[in-house]
Amino acid sequence: MEGELAVNSPAIVVERLRKDYGRLRAVDGISFQVMRGEIYALLGPNGAGKTTTVEILEGHRKRSSGSVRVLGFDPGTGGRRFRERIGIVLQSGGIDAELTVREIVSLYASFYARPRDVTQTIDQAGLSGKRRARVRTLSGGQRRRLDLALALVGDPDLLFLDEPTTGFDPNARRDAWEMIAGLRRAGTTVLLTSHYLDEVQRLADRVGVLSHGHLVEEATPGTLGGRDVTGTVISFRLPAALASTALPPGPWDEPEFREGVIVMRTDQPTRVLAALTQWAVGHGAELEELSVVRPSLEDAYLQITSPDGTGGHHVR
Amino acid sequence: MSVKASRHSRPALLLAAGQVRYQLLLLLRSPLAFFLTLVVPLLLLVSLNVVIPPSAALMPRGLRYAQFLTPAVCVFCLLNACYVTTITSVVLAREEQILKRLRGTPLPAWTYLAGRSGTAFLTATASATIIITIGVAFFHVHIIWRGSGYFAAAAGLGMACFFLLGVAVTAAIAKTDTALPVAYGTVLPLAFISDVFFSAARAPHWLRDLASAFPVAPVARAMEAAFIPGTRSWPMPTSGLLVVLGWTIAAAAAIALTFRWEPGPGPGHAR
Repeated sequence: MEGELAVNSPAIVVERLRKDYGRLRAVDGISFQVMRGEIYALLGPNGAGKTTTVEILEGHRKRSSGSVRVLGFDPGTGGRRFRERIGIVLQSGGIDAELTVREIVSLYASFYARPRDVTQTIDQAGLSGKRRARVRTLSGGQRRRLDLALALVGDPDLLFLDEPTTGFDPNARRDAWEMIAGLRRAGTTVLLTSHYLDEVQRLADRVGVLSHGHLVEEATPGTLGGRDVTGTVISFRLPAALASTALPPGPWDEPEFREGVIVMRTDQPTRVLAALTQWAVGHGAELEELSVVRPSLEDAYLQITSPDGTGGHHVR
Repeated sequence: MSVKASRHSRPALLLAAGQVRYQLLLLLRSPLAFFLTLVVPLLLLVSLNVVIPPSAALMPRGLRYAQFLTPAVCVFCLLNACYVTTITSVVLAREEQILKRLRGTPLPAWTYLAGRSGTAFLTATASATIIITIGVAFFHVHIIWRGSGYFAAAAGLGMACFFLLGVAVTAAIAKTDTALPVAYGTVLPLAFISDVFFSAARAPHWLRDLASAFPVAPVARAMEAAFIPGTRSWPMPTSGLLVVLGWTIAAAAAIALTFRWEPGPGPGHAR
């Protein structure tokens, strides 16, 4: 029955979702699930199909084919009962500039059967000092906080966050992250899109990467693109004492020499470090500027979404 | 084991009443809407009464110009509040993504439009009341109490028709900047040929026939007739009533088919 969910069932189930705009296929048969209480981030370059996918899940757009269930509802036909249970943060706009913060949050609270306390929601969004301020007087960051307050005031089970911290200063972003993490602790499911990969790294339990309408990778932020096991970069300055000594054999690709610094890439950093340190100690030398760097989420993301990346491996 | 959706939505009528309050608040804080709905009709009433000499007004049946102009400006109040302001405010709300945000909440679509219509009707009624009061107080206009029921009924038909037409037209307007020109570009020519500023009694037949094909003329003529002493029957002919009802139904159908909640050229573009 619509709206009924088994406790352990996913909050979002997408199967072979497709969306065409005329002859353009914006979303091409993607499938994924978001578990209850999970923060799932959708990443991808502009035009990858993120917004279309999210808007289909929100009920704003109709799909061309495939199956979508959100909190047990078909978002296209779920109606008021479905919208009682979701909150949406839009990318921008959508707020009457001539109302005060308190008026607009109270208005939105009045739409819901079980709203949160208005004052508490405003305070939680960091706008306590702006309750009586007209929306047009708020800064960009303050408007985004108000966006968040409007999405939360209905006490949603599922929150759609479309680039929620764009325009925030660093402190405001930290506050917003804390707030979102608090929602997860309270059991709210969150579908997040963001261009800030540090935000995704910090908040998301899992990440799906869209490219040209395909879901090309799905993983945790720590393992995206295999970055937990592949492509570790080890570098050090070659000591003068070892300048005429050949490197020991080891599991690395062809090392690069950059102005006296040796850079090597490996999938087995522990074995490489052991071989290098044994070699240096054996010759009584110190490996100066020794560093071990794992690829960042951004490196992995760029690798996946680059034209010559692994974008051909579609997760179905 | 399952978790049931245990939330029962709020009564829709309560939400519609909340929408009226919210739209009124916005209107009162919008200088443009205030100017269009209250100030412009008042300026018209005063300036036309002062500027036009009685001999130049060409009134039929020996009617004084003020007695004709006062209900005529009331028609202009209805057009401004129900048609022009509806177009500008709905297009602005759509292009600013306010409608899109509302569509993501449990607020039923019809309650939003009900709120808009309630606000339009209230402001139209308020501005028409002010016009009549000024007419009576300063231009010796007589209220024909026997015709007041006809006046109210014709105004009610006009408000419903003009409001629905205003909402329907928004689908054809892509940008906020073009909303006001489109609204006045369509309503002013019609008003000029439909007895709103001047009596068209001596206009060419073809022009009167053209005006009669649109809803402004039947409503205006009926409201003006209700201010003529001696009016004893419903002053809108059946043909006029059918024109108004036809446009009202067509507008409602157009809204059902084409009304957009999202900004831009419509839902068929990729994001």
